[in-house]
Amino acid sequence: MSTIVIEHLARVEGHGGITVELEGDTVTNVHFDVFEGARLLEPLVRGKRYDEVAPILSRICSICSAAHTLTSLKATENAFGIRVSPQTELLRELLFRGESIESHSLHLFLLALPDYLNYPSAIAVAADKPAAVLLGLRLKKLGNSIQEVIGGRAVHPVNTVLGGFGKVPAIDELIGLRSNLMQALGDCDTVIDIIASLPAADFCHSDTLYAALRSPNLDSYYTGDEVMVMSNGNRAIVNAADYRSLTNEKSVPHSNAKHSTFRGSPFMVGSLARLTVNPRRLTGKLAVAMKRLKLQLPADNPMDNNKAQALELINDVERALEIIEQLIRNGIKDERPIPVHPRAGTGTAITEAPRGLLIHSYTYDEQGHVVSADVITPTALNAASIELHFRRAVEQCAERDEAVIGKRLQMIARAYDPCISCSVHLVRRR
Amino acid sequence: MSKPTVGIFGLTGCAGDQLVILNCEDQLLDLVALIDIRDFLMASSDGQADCALDIALVEGAVLTMRDAETLRAIRKRSGLLIALGTCAVWGGVAAMDRGADRAKMLEDVYGERGKEYDSYPAQALHEIVKVDLNITGCPIEKEHFLAAVAALLNGDPPLYPDYPVCTECRMRENNCLLIERGDICCGPITAAGCNARCPGLRIPCIGCRGPVTDSNAASALAIFEEKGFDRQHIAGRLRTFSPVEVAQ
Repeated sequence: MSTIVIEHLARVEGHGGITVELEGDTVTNVHFDVFEGARLLEPLVRGKRYDEVAPILSRICSICSAAHTLTSLKATENAFGIRVSPQTELLRELLFRGESIESHSLHLFLLALPDYLNYPSAIAVAADKPAAVLLGLRLKKLGNSIQEVIGGRAVHPVNTVLGGFGKVPAIDELIGLRSNLMQALGDCDTVIDIIASLPAADFCHSDTLYAALRSPNLDSYYTGDEVMVMSNGNRAIVNAADYRSLTNEKSVPHSNAKHSTFRGSPFMVGSLARLTVNPRRLTGKLAVAMKRLKLQLPADNPMDNNKAQALELINDVERALEIIEQLIRNGIKDERPIPVHPRAGTGTAITEAPRGLLIHSYTYDEQGHVVSADVITPTALNAASIELHFRRAVEQCAERDEAVIGKRLQMIARAYDPCISCSVHLVRRR
Repeated sequence: MSKPTVGIFGLTGCAGDQLVILNCEDQLLDLVALIDIRDFLMASSDGQADCALDIALVEGAVLTMRDAETLRAIRKRSGLLIALGTCAVWGGVAAMDRGADRAKMLEDVYGERGKEYDSYPAQALHEIVKVDLNITGCPIEKEHFLAAVAALLNGDPPLYPDYPVCTECRMRENNCLLIERGDICCGPITAAGCNARCPGLRIPCIGCRGPVTDSNAASALAIFEEKGFDRQHIAGRLRTFSPVEVAQ
């Protein structure tokens, strides 16, 4: 028996590794190892008052901190029957888009790109090919500037609270963002040029099940009440209240992991899943870009998630611009947060964080203190699918060269853009 | 002068302080020309695990034996060890209730298997090794990180505000959320340096930068009690980001 071990997975958020065990040419065991300590934030928020929950659970992850904050607020608002204003909804979606722009450009240009170009880091890439890295940094900064204006801070937003915002942004700030976004439209074309020019990453093919929120309308894909699971034309709908059926923890023979499966099969969440479930979004500039990237849906190659992120980057910039135009047209009103009247009950919210489906569900007592909290993160949902794709990649690799296999496995792990701090909530730890 | 060798590390946390470093989009490429980053797993796959470092920046808290071993190894190879962010400096959100029944919490989240996990109540870095400098914040302020690099390159110790958020809040002429609105605002006992970001947005301070030196939690507690808040609830709030115990 031989074993391939990647001790520390680099260029990802958090601490993880990969172990593959082989018996001759047969893969006997595959682990996506998670070394992150358990912070136990869900049990720690028990007994906390409703307004303390979002800031604490935001700390699950920095890169998706806006998504965690907004999903948390929405779950609590659902529990208390609070409906926020249309202006708040727009500002929140803008914050979501800002985070997605930051996260996708960080991942594509600083974390994933070096693999394709055979460099150890974006810093090393920048020494030879500064344009691609500078482009990534520019877009990343744009995403952060949206988060700063709307959320009050780029990491762990503070301005977004139950019922609305502490202070709505000033019109001048929105006008500033608008001009930055308009400049970024040109950068979006360059993003496609660069991603289309990368060598093909063609070493893992597999039938894949995709899960994403079904968009109630084309404009706001970041939130919805129904998850669609689909593969090759078959589809199933899961309602928000039944979210636990997506996290059916199934023990698998190759490890003591509890993995999320849908009717026994691993599924993938994230950019590629969103585009597969909501193909109607792919019109105009996006349809042209998709052709240039040679992306076909449904895809059978997990590496295509990088292409899907590039397409979403364009979509996020375009949509952020639309939202700002609408806010400027409507005139921004100095709304105060809707007052909170706690009541006993359960509230669940499902959103599309940059890395895929994110679920927060809380039960409150009559005074608005947390009785229980449940958080399901994209990387936890993806864990079983990541392992499945590791297995396929090893099986499909003709060379039994550890360096070749190791690099491919790391590229697959990175294509999922894993957030290992987040994943601790469900995945087996070692 | 040769460039100082630097390592950037994360223990258990959200990676937010490393993200703040990567968020220095305008300075990042200049920065790497001034310092020699030898080990930065979140950004590079050619980290040198054993080389000596002039400066180690460490974020996150110590929650596992593995974290403690990693931290001791970093200490051994580094000249200056800098705690980056509230988790590293104080323990952070994972340390909010260190007295809680950990075995039960582990079982609640992970089931039977939870009992076998390498998992301990969160500790700040200084509880395990000697720390030379603290840069607090959840996350740290970008400017504080850049100022630290600039100061250290010049051989100066970086200096950070040693007064409460209230001081910054008054300088911004914000209305006081505690006195005028009766909100539980942690400004009086929390280290400044954020330019009173939250009160400036009409949102009470939740203490994410950790306690200010000589903070008087007992007197803050008395003010809150006068406003009619439950003592236990306030004590819980005051220790959200640090395990500071308030006398019951």
